[in-house]
Amino acid sequence: MKLNRREFLALTGKTAAGAVIFAACGLPERELIVQSPVDLPEDLVRGEDAWYATTMGDFTTGDGVLVRVMQGRAKKIEGNPDHPVNRGKATARYDSVLQLLYHPDRIKEPMLRYSKAGNLVGVSWDQAESRFRNALAGSSGALTVVTNPLRGHLGSVAGRFAQKFNGKHMTFDPTEQGVLHCAVKSVLGQDQLPTFDIANARTVLSFGADWLGTWGSPAQFGVKYGEFRGGSRGYLIHAEPRMSLTSAAADLWLAPKPGTEGDLALGIASVIVNEGLVDGSNVQAFLSAVPGGLRNYDVRDVAVRTGVPFNRIQNAARHFADHTPSVAFGGGSAGAHTNGSFNLGAIYALNLLVGSVGSAGGVTPNPGSGIDGVPASATGASFQSWEEELAQWRAGNVETVIIRGADIVHGMPNTVAIREALEHVPNVIAFGAVIDDTLDVADLVLPELTFLESWGSDIPEPGPGYQVVGIQQPVVGPTVSQDESGLISDARGFGDILMKMADGTIGSTMEQMVRRAISDLHSSGRGSVSASTPALFTKGVLQRGGWWNTGTKGARGVTGRISNEATSANYSETASLGEGDDFHLVPFHSNSLLDGRLAASPWAQQSPDPISSASWSTWAEINSKEAEELGIKEGDVLLVRSTSGEIEALAYPHPGVRPGVIGVPIGQGHHAAGRWAEDRGANVLSILTNEKDSQTGALAWAATRVRVQRAGRRVKVPKFEGNVEARPVEPGFPVLVVGPNETAEAAKEANHHEYQKSLFNDDYGSVDHE
Amino acid sequence: MTTASFGSHNWGMVVDVDKCIGCQACVIACQAENNIPLNTQDRVERARTISWIRVERYWEGDFPDTKARFIPIMCQHCENAPCEPVCPVFATYHNAEGLNVQVYNRCVGTRYCANGCPYIVRFFNYWEPVWPESLRNHLNPDVTVRSRGIMEKCSFCVHRIRRATRTARSEGREIADGEIQTACTSACPTSALNFGNFNDPNSKVSKMREDQRHYTLLDQFGTDPNVIYLAKVDPDKKVSVGEAASHG
Repeated sequence: MKLNRREFLALTGKTAAGAVIFAACGLPERELIVQSPVDLPEDLVRGEDAWYATTMGDFTTGDGVLVRVMQGRAKKIEGNPDHPVNRGKATARYDSVLQLLYHPDRIKEPMLRYSKAGNLVGVSWDQAESRFRNALAGSSGALTVVTNPLRGHLGSVAGRFAQKFNGKHMTFDPTEQGVLHCAVKSVLGQDQLPTFDIANARTVLSFGADWLGTWGSPAQFGVKYGEFRGGSRGYLIHAEPRMSLTSAAADLWLAPKPGTEGDLALGIASVIVNEGLVDGSNVQAFLSAVPGGLRNYDVRDVAVRTGVPFNRIQNAARHFADHTPSVAFGGGSAGAHTNGSFNLGAIYALNLLVGSVGSAGGVTPNPGSGIDGVPASATGASFQSWEEELAQWRAGNVETVIIRGADIVHGMPNTVAIREALEHVPNVIAFGAVIDDTLDVADLVLPELTFLESWGSDIPEPGPGYQVVGIQQPVVGPTVSQDESGLISDARGFGDILMKMADGTIGSTMEQMVRRAISDLHSSGRGSVSASTPALFTKGVLQRGGWWNTGTKGARGVTGRISNEATSANYSETASLGEGDDFHLVPFHSNSLLDGRLAASPWAQQSPDPISSASWSTWAEINSKEAEELGIKEGDVLLVRSTSGEIEALAYPHPGVRPGVIGVPIGQGHHAAGRWAEDRGANVLSILTNEKDSQTGALAWAATRVRVQRAGRRVKVPKFEGNVEARPVEPGFPVLVVGPNETAEAAKEANHHEYQKSLFNDDYGSVDHE
Repeated sequence: MTTASFGSHNWGMVVDVDKCIGCQACVIACQAENNIPLNTQDRVERARTISWIRVERYWEGDFPDTKARFIPIMCQHCENAPCEPVCPVFATYHNAEGLNVQVYNRCVGTRYCANGCPYIVRFFNYWEPVWPESLRNHLNPDVTVRSRGIMEKCSFCVHRIRRATRTARSEGREIADGEIQTACTSACPTSALNFGNFNDPNSKVSKMREDQRHYTLLDQFGTDPNVIYLAKVDPDKKVSVGEAASHG
């Protein structure tokens, strides 16, 4: 049936009748957009979509995602239900990555700075590659490749590239987790982070790590938390000086003085041992890992040292020991002290006390990589290693630095003077999708494909307890700009460029490398995908977003010992810092920006912080009563000063911070990061002092003490709180809370009476309330 | 205001507040799915943001007994919706599947509906939405971009419902329980948000709403919402049974 436009419009004008006519003619229903008075178009469905499975590269620890693509454009990122790590679930960060893909300030072409004092100017890829080759030609033995901690094939390529030029591969993570990896290795004998079987635990005891917000794999942990809260409902105890998402979710929040988390863990152990709450064999296993014993950890002394009330420590210990299976883990700020290794060692050793190592509901080991030569674990190089490396840069011993995925200029404290160190390196070559502070000072800037446009792989860490290889595939091709003047970015893959610069000696392309790895997995005859031919196998792996083998589990390692050295923390000095009040600075990852890697995304910028509800800014959280005593009000501009420098942050007092602590989110304060992030807020990382963990040399990023002073200005905090009038269930009871076995009805009734009583005071009991 | 006579579906949501961790995954997923305008700093400061779903945070107690309580709030898709009868142009109405629906091209922006909504989940477009340059690439073609001067709100991702309905119809089958996920329920890592068909007694949401923790927001207004909440559990709460009984 042929129709011209006039006939088409005439027919569709007949609304429902039109639909019948076209249906009869076999015209697909979706092509009709007809407003019917009986079936109103609440919204429209246009075209067919495709969902591609991939893995999220730099923005998660190996989550599997599905990307919705329509007409060649990525529209949405959701969790991959097939993927064993996050099982179809997401975090607040997933979709923000789309805005990096389509960012209007994406680096369009390679840019070159002809002299250190000059400006970056656009050049062709041929010119850029020529400059790259020239730099490499004189850099044998004097080259450093700097990346974020990379697992999977990209990690392997970066390492092998550095090796080929007799250089070094340095990884950078501003809130480095090296202490965590060392503690896991020394206490549990594991090379990879283990699985925390939160779902099957009855008690979870965690320290410092905001695992429901930003630490590790929040999507994975969130799924497990949902299961943990179902059924017989587990009990969560969390220790952290400020209220994070995990503290907020906890049934019992302990807020120790920063740096006393190890004390607290051993205080809990002391209660368990003294009250005989666990088997003697568990006590022996624990004491063999803690050779110093518990003599110095009488719970009353611990209460004084940690600032956590005695009865809270006792409750935590009894819950942990009595309601098993129990699991204890920690990280984040708990390990970011001069005694970080001791803290985390003591925390992980608690698992020995309740016999939860290697058992359901406890800590279970993860196996090594499913692909030979591809790293399954990665962490940032220690701050001490970085200080040594930067000394080499300054001494002129490094000719070329290649940087990718690591904004070292933003992420390093002022104390190391990173900009000045980079000036001593003749060739600074940096890759990225959107400009950042490091790319901004590079000599050669190379536009990089995002994970949505390139090949790769990832080994999730922590994994689910068995081998998993996540496969990253390009889900969209190059994007043409709106005015059709060209591509929004003439970008290339980091791995591909390195391989090209190495003249194919470490591989030809990332795609080929990944496909070969898939083929090897097929040859192994194991795992989640079975197919008769390699081609079908590859298709199956790409459709599912990876390969996993439930048959290969991790082996329990040899339990080691925790050191008795440096059991108490040291902090930076404040005596010379002028006027103000002393606070302990606890930086924390922004829920939406993380360490700043998502700062360029407006969705990430606008996303309300779950605790403060603030967005688009840098705020400082202090205890509300303490703020009142100091005369600090919300929106006061605070000068936060350490021996490393000073930043400004907006005061946000609330009751979920330990007095004496000031919490400041990481992620803002970029000089260059696209239109939405540039010169916005302050960079708290810059004022960290150079205290280090005594055993690993890791940056003790939670060991800085600051002096806080009001700047004499007050501005409105950009926050969502108060934008909508609270309409609670009952005035004074905004969220209905029930006790064990209490019904919602009974709780509402009780709330109602309590509210009425508050209105009428003592008179309430004397009137008839029926 | 009449109760619609439902067909085979009565879409609704069950929010288990005990599982909500306040992570904002639902909020951003909704922003991305529904082409919600960017909430710039200026709009945040002027309290002119648009967020079809929001997670409210309330403080309870003082340090160290502080509790932060989270509760996600979106359009409650009320059976007796106060927003519906006040609309002079029938831009908002109740459909046969339990949805409170907004027809954008009918809306003339009187904002009566927003005034009538006790849940404050309707949002007015004070400005023409703007997505700079290349960011328009990620707009969802299934969802109308709303222009300045009209109201918008949570649609329960009606376009996803329509898509799934058409797929099921073309395959000659019923929509399976759990087949339709709104953007927020899909993202929610802890499964605090759950979407489904209340007309199916075997659906997950139907079973969940039998929980003794179930309640609806502001039920004193008689709006009969299609969003059911399950109360937060505090295992250490002292239940004052005697108090409730003596004054009941």
